[in-house]
Amino acid sequence: MTDEPLLKVNDLTVVLDGEKILDDISFEIKKEEVLAVIGPNGSGKTVLLKTLIGLIKPTKGIIEWAPNTEIGYLPQRFQVDRYLPMTVKEFLRLKFDPKKSISAVFREVGLKNELLDESIAHLSSGQLQKVLFAWALINKPGILLFDEPTENIDVVGQESIYKLLHHLQDTLNISLIIVSHDLHVVYRYANRVLCLNKKMLCYGEPHTALTDKILAELYGDHAFFHHHHYDK
Amino acid sequence: MIENFSLILLSGVAVAAASGLVGTFLILRKMTLLSDALSHVALPGIALGVIFNFQPIVGGIAFLFFGILLIWQIENKTKLAIESITGVLFVTTLAIGALIMPETELLEAFFGHIKNTTVFQIVLQTIIALLVIVIALKYIKPLVLTSIAPDLSAAEKISHTKMQFLLLALIAFTISIGISFVGVLLISALLIVPAATARNLSSNFKTFVVLSMILAVVSLCGGLTVSYFWNIDPGVATVLLSAFLFTLSLFKKQ
Repeated sequence: MTDEPLLKVNDLTVVLDGEKILDDISFEIKKEEVLAVIGPNGSGKTVLLKTLIGLIKPTKGIIEWAPNTEIGYLPQRFQVDRYLPMTVKEFLRLKFDPKKSISAVFREVGLKNELLDESIAHLSSGQLQKVLFAWALINKPGILLFDEPTENIDVVGQESIYKLLHHLQDTLNISLIIVSHDLHVVYRYANRVLCLNKKMLCYGEPHTALTDKILAELYGDHAFFHHHHYDK
Repeated sequence: MIENFSLILLSGVAVAAASGLVGTFLILRKMTLLSDALSHVALPGIALGVIFNFQPIVGGIAFLFFGILLIWQIENKTKLAIESITGVLFVTTLAIGALIMPETELLEAFFGHIKNTTVFQIVLQTIIALLVIVIALKYIKPLVLTSIAPDLSAAEKISHTKMQFLLLALIAFTISIGISFVGVLLISALLIVPAATARNLSSNFKTFVVLSMILAVVSLCGGLTVSYFWNIDPGVATVLLSAFLFTLSLFKKQ
């Protein structure tokens, strides 16, 4: 692990249609670090990721990536039309500028090669999520930006996704930014956490940054249930 | 007036193949009614060609291009849905076309008039068809990706606006060359029905595209042949044949 940050964000502000979505956000991420971004719905988490990869222009502030950083992005919404006539292999071949073979990334995400000839529309949501990981890994990214889906993934599937993320981080030495709704994930996998509700409410190591006061501010009383329930 | 049936048939193969190919993108994007509505935008252009004695296909292309530019601009500058813009444009141009075009030509424009086209037009539309095929195949990856996964394609730095324009342009050219065969009203027989049939029969993308092109060719050439031997309009014969194939595909699907 070097000390040179992979990504430095300073005073980032994003205004969309006259509404301030992100207000003065600053943080950084080093190589092989896992940063969890948490916050209630509409707190700007997805906008933050999209701004980081350049889909949304920052209104103010600086986003500085280390030179030659390849970024893998997994969007929150990825639904495939039930009637889409396309195999998994054909889908992965749509990726531009591949740096790894399809079977290599398939092995990395723990999918069997037989699945390559399956129709992508027939996959379970968990399998589809892994295919999406494979998609992101084809370019050999130094960092993965993972926008956790809020729906359509069962709890068991979700658990295996996080195991996979952890495994990828161990074997490929990549950094992660995870947008999550699940505090359990934050405590278990993240080195740092960023609490977002348009403004940056906290930033630091999970056990010190996530005080009861911050959690109440983020989620109301509901959060305490999550907190105690998972953090046994 | 053109007597050479094999020349018509050859041009038909190219035009139908282009339609079958472009139709697959319309199916992927669920934009199937767009092409149907857009085809009417060609009418005033065809009418001007008839009245002022120049190639109607040129007028048709010019108006279609104007139409897609307008749709594209309005879609990018306002939040209106593309379907509603097309809806307004389509009835307006249909009315203008019907107002200024003589009645016989109007019927021909509605249902196709391949026997009354010139050799120049046949050659022109064949060249355009081949260009449409080449360009669509060259950009097939980004076109498909923006259609099925807009978020992923944006992350790959593919411009949604550019792809949308490219697709609209491909649709416009395909419509303009298909009109002489099947007419403004029946253009979806070439664009949509073969692609919809192919989707019912395919489990992978390659088969989907190739089959859609083959089905469009079979429908159009079948329709032209039927109309050559019996006194049936080629457009009508093509539609009925492609609809018949679609119905058969429903059985296979189950």
